[in-house]
Parts: sequence; structure tokens; C-alpha cells
Amino acid sequence: MLWKPHHIVPAHTKIDFMGHRLWALGLSTLINVLSLVGVFVFGLNFGIDFEGGIAIQVRAKQGTIQLDELRHTTGALGIGEVSLQEFGDKSSALIRVQRQEGNAACVAHADAVMKRRVGNGWSVKPGAEGTGDVVFTAPGQLDAAGWRDAVSRVGLTVLERELPRANTNTAKIDMTPEQRAEWCQQVAIKVVDDAISDKYDIRGTESVGPKVGSELMHTGIIAVLATLAAIAIYMWFRFEWQFGVGALISMLHDVISTIGIFVLFRIDFSLTALAAVLTIAGYSINDTVVVFDRVRENMRRYKKLGLVDVLNLSINETLSRTVMTSITVFVAVLALVIFGGPVLYSFSIAMLWGVIVGTYSSIWIACAGLVYLKLRPEQFRHEDEGAKAKA
Amino acid sequence: MLHLPRWQTIAIIVFTALAGLFALPNILPESIDDLLPKWYAQNRINLGLDLRGGAHFLLEADLRGVLNERMTNVADSVRGELRKKQVGFKELTVEPNGHVTVELRDEGQRATAIEAIRAVDPSLVTEGAGPKIDISFSPQELTRKRKEVIDQSIEILRRRVDETGTIEPTIVREGDDRILLQVPGIKDTTDLKRKINQTAKLTFHLVNEDLAASSGGGLPSVLPPTTALVPTREGMQALKAANPKAFDEIQSANPRLSPEQICRRYHPLCLPIFKRVIVGGEDLDDAKATFESQQQGGRPIISFTFNAAGGRSFCAATRHNIGKRLAIQLDNEIISAPVVQSAICGGSGIITGAFTPQQTQEQALLLRSGALPATLTIIEERTVGADLGADAIHAGTVAAVVGTGLVMFFMFGTYGPLFGGFANLAMGVNLLLVLAGMSVLGASLTLPGIAGLVLTVGMSVDSNVLIYERVREEKANGRSALGALTAGYERALAAVIDSNLTALIAGVLLFGFGSGPIRGFATSLSLGLLTHLFTATIFTRMLLATWMRWRRPKELTL
Repeated sequence: MLWKPHHIVPAHTKIDFMGHRLWALGLSTLINVLSLVGVFVFGLNFGIDFEGGIAIQVRAKQGTIQLDELRHTTGALGIGEVSLQEFGDKSSALIRVQRQEGNAACVAHADAVMKRRVGNGWSVKPGAEGTGDVVFTAPGQLDAAGWRDAVSRVGLTVLERELPRANTNTAKIDMTPEQRAEWCQQVAIKVVDDAISDKYDIRGTESVGPKVGSELMHTGIIAVLATLAAIAIYMWFRFEWQFGVGALISMLHDVISTIGIFVLFRIDFSLTALAAVLTIAGYSINDTVVVFDRVRENMRRYKKLGLVDVLNLSINETLSRTVMTSITVFVAVLALVIFGGPVLYSFSIAMLWGVIVGTYSSIWIACAGLVYLKLRPEQFRHEDEGAKAKA
Repeated sequence: MLHLPRWQTIAIIVFTALAGLFALPNILPESIDDLLPKWYAQNRINLGLDLRGGAHFLLEADLRGVLNERMTNVADSVRGELRKKQVGFKELTVEPNGHVTVELRDEGQRATAIEAIRAVDPSLVTEGAGPKIDISFSPQELTRKRKEVIDQSIEILRRRVDETGTIEPTIVREGDDRILLQVPGIKDTTDLKRKINQTAKLTFHLVNEDLAASSGGGLPSVLPPTTALVPTREGMQALKAANPKAFDEIQSANPRLSPEQICRRYHPLCLPIFKRVIVGGEDLDDAKATFESQQQGGRPIISFTFNAAGGRSFCAATRHNIGKRLAIQLDNEIISAPVVQSAICGGSGIITGAFTPQQTQEQALLLRSGALPATLTIIEERTVGADLGADAIHAGTVAAVVGTGLVMFFMFGTYGPLFGGFANLAMGVNLLLVLAGMSVLGASLTLPGIAGLVLTVGMSVDSNVLIYERVREEKANGRSALGALTAGYERALAAVIDSNLTALIAGVLLFGFGSGPIRGFATSLSLGLLTHLFTATIFTRMLLATWMRWRRPKELTL
């Protein structure tokens, strides 16, 4: 059976795709509006890439992970909101800790970590009000190298010249409130580490400070907008403007409804998810271009045919290719969903949705859009004559 | 259309074979590395940190702090200059925005005051009217300083990280004031963080000329207690070139070898120096590469400045040791040992030697690299354990193999053994080209990068599908085998190019805006789309043309 060619889609389909365009447009509008409402009402479940914060991957040293117990332990640490999820297998979990703000609580944590890790007699106190200064007190006198070593135990790295040169037992570290906020991520990691390290191995940590988080968000939004714009401009140059607009609308549709999926299933919206969104835009347009290409060709060939008929004809003619490619991409992405591991999970799920919605939108959004953008065969005449003159 | 000249066919085959050769080391087991030439065996794709494990830091330099410190020094110097020129002033303050303001008692002395300020540093800019003078650095000078601070920090970081013995750290500038540091293979970052802001030890010593002369360039067998034997930088570099293995041993020795042990064991060029420190690096304010005046010969030189205490000790030491060599030692290496030409007093001096301008740049950088010029704050940190990376590689490989298998299965099923086989062969070559491209470009493969490869597999058969479906249509319209194939190729070409280019736009923008692993995804996806344009339009055409010429089929089994 395998060794003979098969037609997945019969050769001459005559499905009236455009006849159902009102239904499709209605459905899409509903989904898009719901997605947007969802974003505004429930918000996206931003990962630490955008929100800032800490993610720690742990694995139980023995047996399966006890999520309840772990939640109880980490929740009581006083480092803000902590969320847990199983990650990959039964013995692994992802601990997410909210972004640390660098307030007095953080200094208190640093104090506790210092006492635990370096010894009693140490203390860490906040400096003057309004600054980010932190004052370390040692049980004995230390020189600059000793100080550097001591403060590095709580993840603080400072220049030697900012440390006391002569032997003393207190050191004031000058910091701005922003610098202290960045440092506090390090403190929180150590707090979690101290609390769970007897039962769990830390396999990986990520921390994104407040500054980087907002920047990544900013560049992310720009990336999506720039990509959509660049593709639309390309389409506008290669085709007529209506195609550019149609493609843009269908990409927007796919991007928005994908974001809706992230809201609905509370999937982490991280940098990888953003990559998925952009890839979906790329895949969707890939699909749209093929149909558009055929539309343009048929409009030149069948001058008498109405736009809706040309669209139906073109979609039907390219249908077997559309289905076949959607299947190959779908199975490839499905392999990622099943075998790609937890890190790629949100990315692959989004892509899987993207394949479906991208295929759908190139037919019912992009093509139906052409109907409402009043694309007319006359507009091709000029180009056609040019082609003839060349010949 | 289908016909290809023979030279083109040969060119395509040679190109593909070369790509295969480049990609091959990635697939070969590491055990046969010894049988292959080293440059070839090393031509492997770099694994990203998320796959091999390691730490990624984004560090931000506190440039405001640097500027404030610099302006405080400027304020001190200006105060001194003004007093020297007897210009009276009421107030002299350092503003938090990196400016210094001074209010003169007598407006008439403004010109003299400005002259005094310019004497402190010619790159200072003065503004304001009446008795008030606002002093700041010119924007060019600020940009230069900022670049210098980052370059210097990168150089120091490199030295520090190298010292930990880790291989291939990546240390690059990111934007205006940031440094990206990636260290593969480390799990516990505490030690690394401690190292980052450590001060490198820079010291000036006199060379024990008697001992150097008596041993005649060789190693003295007995050292007086006042003297130490230290390898020179030149010597170490010569050793590295002549005997890389010894150099590796020195790097990886644990506990670290003392300078004298290195000298005795490996015999690089060494100098006996007095242990007494004349001036330490903490007293060095600045060092820069410049040129002598034309009268003196215009040679490239390094000029440096000390703070007051350093200047005094340096002056005394040089006065009594004219004609002797002064060794500049940085972290157990003598970076240079120029001969003292004259007493160097007044807090600044120059080092001459047979330097090229580039060497003076490097030396000045090394001199400055005693301590980090700015506090570096970690603003992003990602650490991946090696076993987690291994898990990711395993998951990624399984996904890639299963994905590729499924796609091949569908292509065989839909287009039969022949045409399906052509498409699958093209897909295989496409993967090979991406791997070869990544090896040659030195791009890193990340976990999302593997996803990009899997996606490439899924999308790369699309062009074949487009062409085949078109051929089927033409065939249904009653064309001959050759006619259907030719028309299929011609008509599908526009759609193939358009659809790939649009996807490529998304990939390139993703690369531009993304970072880290995402960039890895964009790299493999974009590269996949590019190579795919080759395999889809040229490679498969060659396959089909060759096959057509060979079999001359009447009917296409498609």
C-alpha cells in the first residue's frame, strides 16, 4: 500500500468555501474578541522572561515529588508568591518565585542566609532610608579580601575599592534601590536553595531582574509588530495591496487567537511562546501566499469569472497541497509536543494550534478578506498587458 | 526547463558532497576523533548552554558610578589647579548628573580659570556665564570612556574566567552598558561570581639585574630570598605556540603552579625580580596608548598616571635605578620590563619600547585591567545543570527522529517510492546543509534550535508538495510526462519562492529581536529556509532531470 501514490484529497473538489464565509467570519470575530477580552480580563500568564522573577527546576533526590509539601515549604519562606508545577516527569518540578523588589524583607532574608551559611554573629541590615545601601556586620575584623568573600556568600559582587580597606567589622555597601532589587533575586534563590536542598537537587535556575523583564517585553512587542509589517509590505510589493491587507488581517487573526489559547489554558507566555507566535505568523503567511498566488493566476486566466468563484476555484485547486503540507507540519510538531520535553511544551502546543488556525485563516480570513476589500479583475489588466508586451 | 547542463549537475553534486563532508563530524562518534585531522574533527556544531549545561549571565556596568568617581577626581584636580593659579572661588561641587560646578569670587578671572580647568584635562568642556562655570566631559569623551570601561571589563572578565579553568567562555558586549557572559559546564556559580569582581594583582618591581646577568639568560639555580622568578608574557606566549600541551598542563594544574614552578618545569623566558613592590596597581589611575612627539621620534608609547602616593614612591624608585629594568607584573606574569630612562616624578610616566600601536593599546589595557572599572550587577542569570542539558538533548533528538520519520512516511505514502523518495532525499540533504551551515558559521544549536530543525523538516517538504501537486494537475490536463513535470516546476516556482521568503522574513526578524535560545531557533529555521530554497528548486530539479533522461518514462507514477 505504501508503495503506491495516494491522493489524500480527491483531484477535483468543488467545495463552496466562500459560501460559508459569513459563518467563518462570525466565528473568527467571536474567537478574536473573546481572546482580547480574555487578555484584558484574566491577563496573560507571563513567564519570568517578561515579568521578571525566578524559576528553579528541581528533582526529588528520592521517589516522586510531593507537590503539597513543597508548596507548603516554599510558600512559607516569605519571598512572595510561589507557584509550583510538575515539570516533565513525576519526580521533577518547576518552582516559580515572583520578582523580588529589594525591600526590607529581602535584607532580612540576606541576614538569615548569612547566619546560616557563614555563621552566627553575622548581621545584614538596611542602610539609610531612601537608598539601597546595605550594612554588613562581621563577628571579627576583616580586610578587603575577607569582606569580598563574605558578601559574595549572599550573591553580592562589589568592587574592592568600595569595600573597607582597613580591618574593620562593619562594611556599608552603597547601592541604588534598583541595584538592590536586582541583587535580591540572588538572595531569594539562596533562600529557596537552603530550604529545599536536603530533599531536592536543583537542576537549573533562571532569574530575570526587573529591568531586563520589562525590556524583553518591549522588544517582544516590537518584534511581533515589525514582523507583521515587514511581511505585509513584502506581500504588497509582490501582489496587489488587497493581498497585503488580507494577509495582514489573517496574520493578526492567528496571532490574536493564539494569544487566546495562552489565556484559555493558562500556558506560560515566555520568550519561547513569543517565538511560537512569530513562527505561526510565518507559517500562516506561507500558507496564504500559496493560495494567493493561485488566485492571482486564476484571475488572469478566467477574466469573466466572478471574484468569489475564482477564490473557490483557487482554494479547491490548492486544497490537496494545503492539506498535505498541514499534515506534514502537524505531525512534525506533534512529535515535538509528545517527545520534545517540558521546556518546549508551551512552544509546541502553540505551534500545533498555529498549524490549524494558519490553514483555516488562509482560506476563510485571507481569501474572504479579498471579497470585502473589493479586489476586481480589472485591476490586473494593466499588469497583464505589460506581460504581453514583454512576450 | 528541466534540462540542466552537465557542469551544473556536477556543481550541485560537488556542493552537496562538500556540505555532507562538513556536516559529517556532527554525526560521527567522538571515539574516532583521533583518526581524523584535528581541524576537521573539531568542525562540530556548538551546543548552546541549554543543551550542554552551564551558566549565562547578563551583567550591567554601573557607568554612572564610574562617571561620578571620575568627576570627583576632576573636582579635586581643578581645586588644586585653581589654587595654584590663585583663582578665588566660593563653591566647587560635584553634581549627581556628572557635572562639576564652580563659582568664582571674581568674574574677571574667568579666562584664567578656564585655562586652569583645561590644564587638568583637555577633553573637559566648560559652559555657563558670569562667575559660574559648569564643567563636564564632551559627549565624544563620554562615549569613548563608556566604550573603554566596557572593553576593559570584558578583558578583565576574560582573565578571571580563564583562571577558573573553564573552556570557551563567551564574553561579549551587549548594547551600550552590558556584557553577556556565558560559561559552559559550570553548575555552581558562587565561585564564579566571587571571581568576577576580584581585583587582578598589578605590581611594579625592579629586576634583579645582577642575577639576570650572572645566569646569562638561563635560570639561576639558587634564588636569594629577596628575589622571585616570574615568567614573562612573551615567554608564556612563545611556550603556548611551541608547546600547547605544556600550556594546557599549566592552565589545568591543581593546585595552581607558582611562577617559579612554571619557570623550572617548562622553561619559558623568565626574569628574576625583587619581591619588594614599588607601586601597586591600586595606585594606578589610568594608562593609555599614545605617541611620542615628532621631535622624539613619534613612536607608539604607553602613558600612565598614578595617584599622589603612587607618584611619590614611583618617583623615588626610578630616581635611584636609572638604566635598570622595571618589571610590570600582572597576576604572576611580567607583561613588560622597560628600562628606566630617567626619574619619573609628577605622578605620570611613559613606557617606551619596540611597540606597534596595537601592542601599546593592548599593554595599556592590561595596565588598566588591575581592577574592574565599574561595578557589574547581574541582571539576568540562567543556569542549566549538565544532566538537565543531557535530558534536553535526548528529548530533542527523539522528537527530531520521530518527526522526520513521520514526515517521510507521509511523503512515501502520498507520492510513492519514487517521487516520495526524491522529496525525502531532498529533505535529508536539506538537513545536512543546515548542519553544515551551522558548523561553518559557528552557530550554536539550542533546544528551540532543534525545534526549528523539526519545523524545517515539516515545512521543507512543502515545496515538493507544491511542485508535485502542480504536476498532478498538469498531468490531469493531459500533458505528457515531460510536459507535466516542466510546467509543474515552472508554475510552482513563484509560490515556492514567495512562501519561503515570507517565512524567512519572520525568521530574520526573530533573530534580530530574540536572544539566547530563541536566537538559536531563528538561526536554524532561517538557515533551513535558505538551504531549502536550494534543495527545492535546484537539487530536486537535478534529480528529476537526471531520472527523466535515464528512464524516459511515458507516464508519471505520481
